[in-house]
Amino acid sequence: MSKTTTFKQVKDKAEKGYQDWLNSEPIRIIVGAGTCGRAAGADAVIATLMEELERRQIKADITRVGCIGLCYLEPLVDVVKQGKPRVSYGNVTPNSVSKIIDGYIVGDDPQSDMLLGTIGDQTLDGVARLFDSPVLKPQVRIATRNCGFVDPEDINQYIARGGYTGLDNALKMTPEQVIEEVSKSGLRGRGGGGAPTGWKWNMCRQAAGDKKYIICNADEGDPGAFMDRSVLESDPHTVLEGMLIGAYAMGATDGYIYCRAEYPQAITRLQQAIAQMEEYGLVGDNILDSGFNFHLKIKEGAGAFVCGEETALMMSIEGNRGMPRPRPPFPAQSGLWGYPSNINNVETWANVSAIMEKGGDWYGSYGTEKSKGTKTFALAGKVNCTGLIEVPMGTSLHEIVFDIGGGILDGKKFKAVQTGGPSGGFIPADQDYLTADYESLAAAGSIMGSGAMVVMDEETCAVDMARYFLTFTQSESCGKCVPCRVGTREMLGILTRVCAGNGVPEDIDRLSQLCETVKKGSLCGLGGTAPNPVLTSMKNFRNEYDAHINEGKCPSLACASLISFYVDPAKCKACMICARNCPNDAIKGGKKMIHVIDQDKCIKCGVCLEKCPAKFSAIVKLSGETLDVPDEPVAIGEA
Amino acid sequence: MIKITVDGKEIEVQKGLSVLDVARELGIDIPNLCHHRDLERYAACRVCLVEVVGARGPMPACVTQVGEGMVINTRTEEIENVRRVVLELMLSEHYGDCVAPCKTACPAGIDIQGQIALIADGRYEESLIRIKESNPLPLVCGRVCPRFCEQKCRRNLLEGPVGINMLKRFVADYDMDSGNPYTPNLKAPTGKKVAVVGGGPAGLAAAYYLVQDGHTVDIYEAHPKLGGMLRYGIPEYRLPEAVLDKEIEGITKLCGEVKTGAKLGTDFTIDSLKEDGYDSIFVAIGAQVGQSMRVNGEDAPGVLVGIDFLRNVVMGNDTGLGKKVAVVGGGNTAMDAARTALRTGADEVTVVYRRSRAEMPANAEEVEQAEEEGVKFVFLASPVGIREADGRVNSMACIKMELGEPDASGRRSPVPIEGSTYEMDLDTVISAIGQAVDRSVLEKSTNIALDRRGCTEIDAETMLTCCEGVFSGGDCTTGPATAVAAIGAGKRAATYIDMYLSGKEVVAQDKPYICSKGELTDIREEDYRDVPTQARVEQTAMSPEVRVRNFYEIELGLTEDQAREEARRCLECGCQDTYECKLRQYASEYKVDDSRYGAREYLALREKDVQNFLHRDYNKCITCGQCVRMCQEVRGAGAVAFINRGSATVVGTAFGHTLEEAGCQFCAACVDACPTGALMDDKNRWREMPDSTVATICPYCGVGCQLNIEVKNNKIIRSVPDDNGPANLGQACVKGRFGLTFVHDENKLKTPLIKKDGKFTEATWDEALDLVASKFASYGGSQFAAISSAKATNEDNYVMQKFARGVMHTNSIDHCARL
Repeated sequence: MSKTTTFKQVKDKAEKGYQDWLNSEPIRIIVGAGTCGRAAGADAVIATLMEELERRQIKADITRVGCIGLCYLEPLVDVVKQGKPRVSYGNVTPNSVSKIIDGYIVGDDPQSDMLLGTIGDQTLDGVARLFDSPVLKPQVRIATRNCGFVDPEDINQYIARGGYTGLDNALKMTPEQVIEEVSKSGLRGRGGGGAPTGWKWNMCRQAAGDKKYIICNADEGDPGAFMDRSVLESDPHTVLEGMLIGAYAMGATDGYIYCRAEYPQAITRLQQAIAQMEEYGLVGDNILDSGFNFHLKIKEGAGAFVCGEETALMMSIEGNRGMPRPRPPFPAQSGLWGYPSNINNVETWANVSAIMEKGGDWYGSYGTEKSKGTKTFALAGKVNCTGLIEVPMGTSLHEIVFDIGGGILDGKKFKAVQTGGPSGGFIPADQDYLTADYESLAAAGSIMGSGAMVVMDEETCAVDMARYFLTFTQSESCGKCVPCRVGTREMLGILTRVCAGNGVPEDIDRLSQLCETVKKGSLCGLGGTAPNPVLTSMKNFRNEYDAHINEGKCPSLACASLISFYVDPAKCKACMICARNCPNDAIKGGKKMIHVIDQDKCIKCGVCLEKCPAKFSAIVKLSGETLDVPDEPVAIGEA
Repeated sequence: MIKITVDGKEIEVQKGLSVLDVARELGIDIPNLCHHRDLERYAACRVCLVEVVGARGPMPACVTQVGEGMVINTRTEEIENVRRVVLELMLSEHYGDCVAPCKTACPAGIDIQGQIALIADGRYEESLIRIKESNPLPLVCGRVCPRFCEQKCRRNLLEGPVGINMLKRFVADYDMDSGNPYTPNLKAPTGKKVAVVGGGPAGLAAAYYLVQDGHTVDIYEAHPKLGGMLRYGIPEYRLPEAVLDKEIEGITKLCGEVKTGAKLGTDFTIDSLKEDGYDSIFVAIGAQVGQSMRVNGEDAPGVLVGIDFLRNVVMGNDTGLGKKVAVVGGGNTAMDAARTALRTGADEVTVVYRRSRAEMPANAEEVEQAEEEGVKFVFLASPVGIREADGRVNSMACIKMELGEPDASGRRSPVPIEGSTYEMDLDTVISAIGQAVDRSVLEKSTNIALDRRGCTEIDAETMLTCCEGVFSGGDCTTGPATAVAAIGAGKRAATYIDMYLSGKEVVAQDKPYICSKGELTDIREEDYRDVPTQARVEQTAMSPEVRVRNFYEIELGLTEDQAREEARRCLECGCQDTYECKLRQYASEYKVDDSRYGAREYLALREKDVQNFLHRDYNKCITCGQCVRMCQEVRGAGAVAFINRGSATVVGTAFGHTLEEAGCQFCAACVDACPTGALMDDKNRWREMPDSTVATICPYCGVGCQLNIEVKNNKIIRSVPDDNGPANLGQACVKGRFGLTFVHDENKLKTPLIKKDGKFTEATWDEALDLVASKFASYGGSQFAAISSAKATNEDNYVMQKFARGVMHTNSIDHCARL
């Protein structure tokens, strides 16, 4: 096929390829093999699957898909038998693969303790639909619509599911009409800033320049965030299609995907996807015979968090040290190499392709008045169902934590949720009625950010968490402006001191003043938002700061310097289990002698607490108080 | 043109300008530390933040362009707070000494680093002048100063402090022996008259500086001669009277009348002085009354007061000293009394002190020397009674003491041990337990408010008493202290008296911010690890056997060689950039508190070194990036860059290369751009202020760079490219920047040399030119070609080609720097 071709030709070719694939084998096995799946053991599961199928002489196609979002259930193995719905199994291990093969592939009984449900409209008797589960039912998947459904390495599957229709639609419109459509959708920047996408595009469209660039920001770096990686790994074409549409709308001829080198699978998938686009005439000169030219390059970033900031990102592409520069001029006026440029984040681009496929009005029907559409979140922390979720804007935090997230791990108490990663803030449990949208999170002192959402339980110390986030921002500051470079170091110093029990009452004032200066005085958003975890934790958990400083006590029993472990002499049965497991030989005791922890040797690892049999529960963890115990082991009953 | 409002003033300005540009035009000072005319706007230092009404937060003035109707406030409370915290944050990682710790420790504030550098350079007169700018009594202090400076000397971290005081004495003696001692220039007479009451060190210092300001100063002294405690309290063997006389004479010859034997309260009062037409009065009567021991029998004959005993020795009076002497007390007066007793006939002298040796307030050297001379010491004992027999003291009862809890002074206070009383046989007791101000004199002759101890109450900074135009200072304000403290007080009083006499409101002057590395104990050893060790020079002193029975001066001073050797030990702690440092300027202006941030324990020491002409100390770097950008954007060398991320970000060369390996051209554009003392010329590590600046064109090549040559004492001390030089716009190369001071090189060729018989011999210019002409004469036309040196200026080149064409008849002419 010649490279210059129409969308109809492309679509026909893809459909044919897709059908050929569907019919290639009677049985198709779909394995979640994104980075999350592989981390959970998907590669070993696939290897065993292949072995076992081979051994049984069963012919089946094994497809590696990306992440469907149920990270806590990985590795996921789905089976599609001809004429039957897709049946999904979770937490599959190499040892349990045979059970699925024997039970459902050889036999015809889908039931198993690994069975999650069916996927798709078709049903199977006695099997629930997976998407009716409380985790998935509230979700609306737009940016992640294909994740876990298409083989990310096969452009045909993407096109067969409606891919590149949005581009075709766009190319039939004028660039201004495309911008109008995007504006109508109400889409706002999903990287965290929340600038209206249509407005931003229009600025770039209007800017004078011989050349224009568009950039996809795939430098996702917040601790706890993996939305962009997931989308790139699971469905690269949705992002690339969005970029094509954007380039057409803004009149850009060149584009960059700035992706961190720590995402090798995402980079491989993008490279493969671009090669396929070239083959289908979807990138390069005269795309889809429309006269529209667009060239795309991948730029690997070295992993500096600040390179997610648009001006630093451009500096990095230009080959300089990634340091932000003052705005104005904004990238739309003078960006990459001085040309008008537009930067949008992975998720924004992923939404664009859907918007141009289904229309701005359709997209705008989701979400709230000011925050339209859906938002992905990386739900992590002390929650039962961790994973990548996508919900309409305006979904309450309570619903996210308790329905989608399945509540707090081990039945502990919900304490707070941290949104926006190191740039965001803590929202305490009693405000979980707040909704996930730009305005409501900002009002609570946090930010939407790119979508990291870390759930904390009662055992998470607010001061320690703030310290943790500061450790990150402090070391990721680019070092250019003083408030960020030095101010975050000072804040971290104070927080470290407080967590170690060495805080002084003046530290609170000092922290407040530093927060204010760093927030107001920093050059870019990294510094400007770095104080948020401190500010919100001081606002909502001030009592914890006071307890650390004034009483030398960590109420959450989390800060190692402030906690002590004791063996309760009344409960100890002298079983020696704790002593044997202590990594630092800090527990003294013998047969029939109650055990005593040497407080000078104890490294506060908590292994004793974990290992002491539940029926004894003799280990006590305390902060700010002590337990009366003998200095040396004594016979049981004598203490 | 657009209309904007800056600090409430509506003005018209050109569109496109930055807020900083506009403020500059309006004369509004907005601090900035990363902005440079020649560099792209950077906005990193964040001290130029201003309020733009309607903006989301403070905006950096350097990059914010003015727009129609913009309302800008440059100094709101919020803005000042942010700037202050930002400056404090910068200072938290700015590790260095603005001012050398010896200078801050000196009560007179002598520029000790300058004093020493000048000695190292052999410029003794200048060194003396530098000292006399702060201390008019270097002959005295060079002998008797307790040397607070040396205690703080950073060299204590190595082999011991620089001999600052010996060096001071060296230049003071050098000046005294020169036959033409230095006399300061006096300003035109103001017609104002000042009475200095008390001719001790405080009064003399005040007089010395007041006369220089053009005021007439009369000195009133109760004793027959001037000098106060210097004369009547310090024995001859430490401070020869002849030396003191010379020093005092140098001051009195500038003054009006010196009225000795005129005692306040007896011969005149403050009011009478005012009636006599004095415009201002400085009361510096000292603290010269010996304090009572408060023990029974104190009135017995043979019980002497230390200070009176010393005075009587000086005045040649009968002292009433016996043979077996006990001196009570542990201060310098006690040591002086004990050693003077040995020299005036006592056979045995014992010092009785109620604490232990470690707590003695006397200088350790004084104690050592006394011991060498045979003075005995009884520690932890205190007199409780004195017995008299045959009309003279014959024994003293003492009780043994032990040390208890530390008192307010931090010294452990002595506690008597009950039942431990014992007797000492003796015939003389000299009490030297302290002195006080003569309260009655002040009460009957002045209205000056006095404190509990009878000392004059003054404003701590301006030294003004409660009486109009009356200032006070020295021991009569502080209680007995040191000569150098009194001198410092006198000098400070002169400043404020001059302010008063000029009709200005007497208000405390702002003290500039001083960044310090801290106390010696705060400094990590590795900070001075790379300094080569060099032992302290010791001055010659007379041996105890020789000196004990006479009053000859004990310490004999340094030789010139010794002085120069010792001067080279100075670590030059004070920053060369002190007077030009923008960080210091803003820190002073915003009254920062540099202790609020920056727990130094987590600050790693950074690199410091000297490479070719550049002295780098990144401990002072504030990471403004001007050097990095200057090197890259303007010079195109890119020798230095930012390294690391976060708070570990530092400036340095790639892979730890030397500057040369990294491509540095040593043009020092970075030094000129550096707003702090992190980058300095190594040529001029101790910064001298030039007498004058001479504009010139660099003689090195034909480019024609305009340079400003800083000159001091007719010598080039520095060359700085002119910011507005049309050819160079503030830039110069290594030659223009550093290649000019060679003119002072001792090996510089001053006469032509002609090679005769294989040897260069001196010749006249005519001989040399004749020789060249005779050699040239044998060539001509195409045999001859001329090429000029890259060093040739345009004028040189013009003459050269004229000569080649006109005289040598050749067109084969070139210039090796031709483009």
